[in-house]
Amino acid sequence: MEMGLIVLAAALAIGVPALATAWAQGRIGPAAAASLAEKPELSTTAIILIAIPETMVILGFVVAVMILLRSGGTAG
Amino acid sequence: MILQMTRARLAGPRAALDAVLAEVQDAGLLHVDRPPAPAPTSGDPLVRREARHVTRLLVDVEAALKELGPLDAPARDASPWPRAARRARSLRRTLVKLRLGRAALEDEQVLLARYREFFEAFEALVGHELTWPDGQAFYVVLHAGAQGALRELQRGLDAAVHGELELLSRELPSGELAVLLLTSPGAAPKVSKLLADARVEELPTPTTLGETNLLRALPAMKARLQEIPRALDALTRQREAIRDGDGTWLASTRAWLRDRQLLLEARAQVHAGEHLFVLEGWVPRTRFDELATRLRTHFGPELLLEVVGEEAWTADQAPVVLKNPSLFRPFEVVTRMLPLPRYGTIDPTPFVAVFFPVFFGLMLGDVGYGVVLALVALALRWKSKPDTTLRAVASVGLVCAASSILFGFVFGELFGTLGHALGLRPLFNREEAIVPFLGLSIALGAVHVLLGLVLAALTSWRRGHPREAMGRGVAIAMVALTGLSLLAAFEVLPAALFTPFAIAVLVAFPVLVALEGLVAVIELLSTFGHILSYARIMALGTASLMLAVVANQLVGAMGSVVVGVVFALLFHLVNFAIGVFSPTIHALRLHYVEFFGKFFSPGGATYQPLGHWHPSS
Repeated sequence: MEMGLIVLAAALAIGVPALATAWAQGRIGPAAAASLAEKPELSTTAIILIAIPETMVILGFVVAVMILLRSGGTAG
Repeated sequence: MILQMTRARLAGPRAALDAVLAEVQDAGLLHVDRPPAPAPTSGDPLVRREARHVTRLLVDVEAALKELGPLDAPARDASPWPRAARRARSLRRTLVKLRLGRAALEDEQVLLARYREFFEAFEALVGHELTWPDGQAFYVVLHAGAQGALRELQRGLDAAVHGELELLSRELPSGELAVLLLTSPGAAPKVSKLLADARVEELPTPTTLGETNLLRALPAMKARLQEIPRALDALTRQREAIRDGDGTWLASTRAWLRDRQLLLEARAQVHAGEHLFVLEGWVPRTRFDELATRLRTHFGPELLLEVVGEEAWTADQAPVVLKNPSLFRPFEVVTRMLPLPRYGTIDPTPFVAVFFPVFFGLMLGDVGYGVVLALVALALRWKSKPDTTLRAVASVGLVCAASSILFGFVFGELFGTLGHALGLRPLFNREEAIVPFLGLSIALGAVHVLLGLVLAALTSWRRGHPREAMGRGVAIAMVALTGLSLLAAFEVLPAALFTPFAIAVLVAFPVLVALEGLVAVIELLSTFGHILSYARIMALGTASLMLAVVANQLVGAMGSVVVGVVFALLFHLVNFAIGVFSPTIHALRLHYVEFFGKFFSPGGATYQPLGHWHPSS
């Protein structure tokens, strides 16, 4: 039971930020594509803007790994 | 680094202006800039008239060259203007006419080819006596399987025109139905309307033959189809003759006109009076003597050449030239993706050249993927020309590949954990040491961000903002002290050090607020956020490794070794693509957002010396 909760917590730690990242990138992507159609020289800025929300899922991944590693001793 | 620039001033007799400008253009060193005084030369009617001539002639010459394809030739004086203008205009008109004629012939060929299917379907009817010799024919193609619609169409049309209609249909090789409708002259308008109402699309009638009846036009159409390729060949020969006869003249005239245009633009920047002229511009400091010697040799003492003192201009006016050692130069491609840094600030290229491959290598860190990337980069390098963006990207790719291979040996990874099985011993096993790897990533982030803050303090100092520079210095101290306090709190450093470090942070805080205001507090917090952002190095590295491990496990999980190996190779290919793309994007982001954000000051003007035009410029 306890192991199940730990795994669920780790899944939520990465899953929720992944959804948030997807939502943010889903909004930034079309706006960036529209900007690029008019000003191709903005490609660098567009790439950076699209990459910025990935911080959320990356930190979520780190937290999920930490949860699993920290709980390894107690759950196992 | 950003090259030091000198502002040069040239003054001399007005009569020598054209010769001086021509010599400056040959030297290709001076970025001409308007002197502080107003420049009435732009109002010189002769210059304005020449600029108009150049622009008009250039339009004709470039339009003609566009028709002929790529051509290159050295610049040659095309004057006198009227003759050159007549020749260019005539060539342009002829070439445009040839292109339009060619397009019309090709359209006709396509249309007649479409009719060919019709010809073949109804060829047997040639010579057939028509019920209404003066009637009209309609040509329709129905999609495959439309027999039902055809019967319905026939019923509807028969009822409407009371049988004054002959409908013939044949199946085409494509499965479509070719339908020929022959009607009496009286019924034709009604049939046309009914077809339009039923949205049945007719093939357009070939008007070029002067014959509206398909059956009578058939022989003429066949002859025309044979004639068109010959006509096209004749047009091609005509175009080639123009290319051989006038192509070189057009290309050399274009080069000359472009040169004149550059010269006239520079001339508009010159302050010229009735007797004298003054011209100012920028030249790299190391090359000023070269320019001075050249001009003095040509014009002697009648031309005055002097350096404008730094007190007479500001850094924002000077154009920017980046010059880095050949090892770092390819990384300018990363810097140039943003606007150039301002003159007097810091060129981040050398730092990018050190940190970018390290971040990339830490994320990809695999001998196998590194070797594949090196092969791809070598192929790109072999395919690219020197001094192009592609060559620079290939060189950056090679350095990143070397870094990946190096870190691959450190991590003991070759296509994931396959390296362990082949006896590759890791010095640092990132599969197990996840927390130390996270610590390493964040420590690297702290070094990178602190370096950015140091560069920001230096830039502020050099640009004459000592208060700002001191504020940055205090921020650096606070970040470093906070880091040390945390290390002491977690007993990495002696725990007794925690209190002095914490007190030092508390003392520095009001100093920071006093120097930079409350905004500095927000900036400080964002700096900690930026340092934590480097955790992505560990996250992406671990994710890449896990994907490689999964790929290797596929070999034993598919039941068949062959199928498993194929799937594993495919998975490795996908992982390689992700493993190259993702670290590149994130290494770029760490530089642009976390590092450059601290000190980079964009907005520098590009150094564009007056020189001769080149097709690639």
